[in-house]
Amino acid sequence: MIKITIADKLRSEYEGYNVLVKLMSEHQNTSQELVIIDLCNVSFIDANLCALIGAFFELLESNLNEIKIENINKSVETILRKNEFLLRFGYAKIFDNYNTALTYRKFTPKDDQSFSAYIQNQLLNKPGFPSHSVKLGKAITRNIFEIYENARTHGKCAFIHTCGQFFPKDPDKPLQFTIVDKGVNIKENVSNYLKREMMGDDAIEWAMVKGNTTKTGSTSGGLGLAVIFDFIKHNKGKIQVISSDGFYEYKNGNIIKRTMNAVFEGTIVNIKFNLNDANHYILHEEVDDDFENIF
Amino acid sequence: MKHLVIKDIINSELAVSTENGKKVFEIVDSYLQQKEKVELDFGGITIMITAFLNAAIGSLYSKKEYTGEFLNEYLKLENVEKDDRVLFKDVIQRAKEYFADKDSFEKNSNDAFYGSN
Repeated sequence: MIKITIADKLRSEYEGYNVLVKLMSEHQNTSQELVIIDLCNVSFIDANLCALIGAFFELLESNLNEIKIENINKSVETILRKNEFLLRFGYAKIFDNYNTALTYRKFTPKDDQSFSAYIQNQLLNKPGFPSHSVKLGKAITRNIFEIYENARTHGKCAFIHTCGQFFPKDPDKPLQFTIVDKGVNIKENVSNYLKREMMGDDAIEWAMVKGNTTKTGSTSGGLGLAVIFDFIKHNKGKIQVISSDGFYEYKNGNIIKRTMNAVFEGTIVNIKFNLNDANHYILHEEVDDDFENIF
Repeated sequence: MKHLVIKDIINSELAVSTENGKKVFEIVDSYLQQKEKVELDFGGITIMITAFLNAAIGSLYSKKEYTGEFLNEYLKLENVEKDDRVLFKDVIQRAKEYFADKDSFEKNSNDAFYGSN
């Protein structure tokens, strides 16, 4: 039996990711154990982090461990029952009156139809999404699909974990959405492609630049992350990407790059979209009238 | 002139996967190979991403015979929403660069192996 006691609140910030990534790294080889996750010190969890916790549990279960959760704080329990994360541990669902939770789910990379249905149900069909403009809703949805497709194409993973949360009382009415895959990481992809060893955070920064791609096959690439990055700038949102030992965050014109305390074998993308974005941003660049001769 | 409806080809309103993009490419390619003009109808597509367009449209530039001039004459894009047009512009520009670089990369590799003459 192994007991894991999480020391503090878990927020989707550098510190929170570090706690979970370090745990994953430490328990990479734990197998055939009863693993008890003690949440007695955890008075708050950013619900979207369930995507990363789900990836941790996937790792433990793939090594034939049994997981039990203990001493869960009442308010944390409520959130994780609303988003259905705890259902597989025998908890019943709590109906989400305010419609603010996006269900935790995991998808196999081939299951893009289910992911599409999930986005339809969890976002597009939700009353009040987005608060102001259909175009904004469409742009947000497009960005989420770009991240998902990126994870499918580059990750070579068994599962893609997703979760999200609306915060309608916050003035910006943010939506946090997280997608996690455990597979080949960005540092490895970019280092292999450029044939030189890179730091994790530098590799992520390279991947955010329009036109940069590690794809070498019969399909071009290198636009997905750049399109998202461009959107986040205009939407005044936030994007965090964690991969290998790299942490990269863009918020309000500032980029923070840091090295993680442990390596994450995969990629975490967390985006904060502001639903209270009255500017109809969209891709600012206008296409001239010559669409007829676009080729 | 062949009229192809994307929504029917991919059986979805969401043009969001590389695989579905490849399906569209293969059908369009089969008509263009026979020099038949194609109208590609995006009507009813609610969400479209660059990964889909890279596979569906960008891949056309992997074929030397499909020059910009040829595609402007033989392939017409219909019912593309104004907001989505910039994605086409980015994807096409990127595909042109990608396949040009790929050619020069392969040529340079061949030169390295076999000499340039």
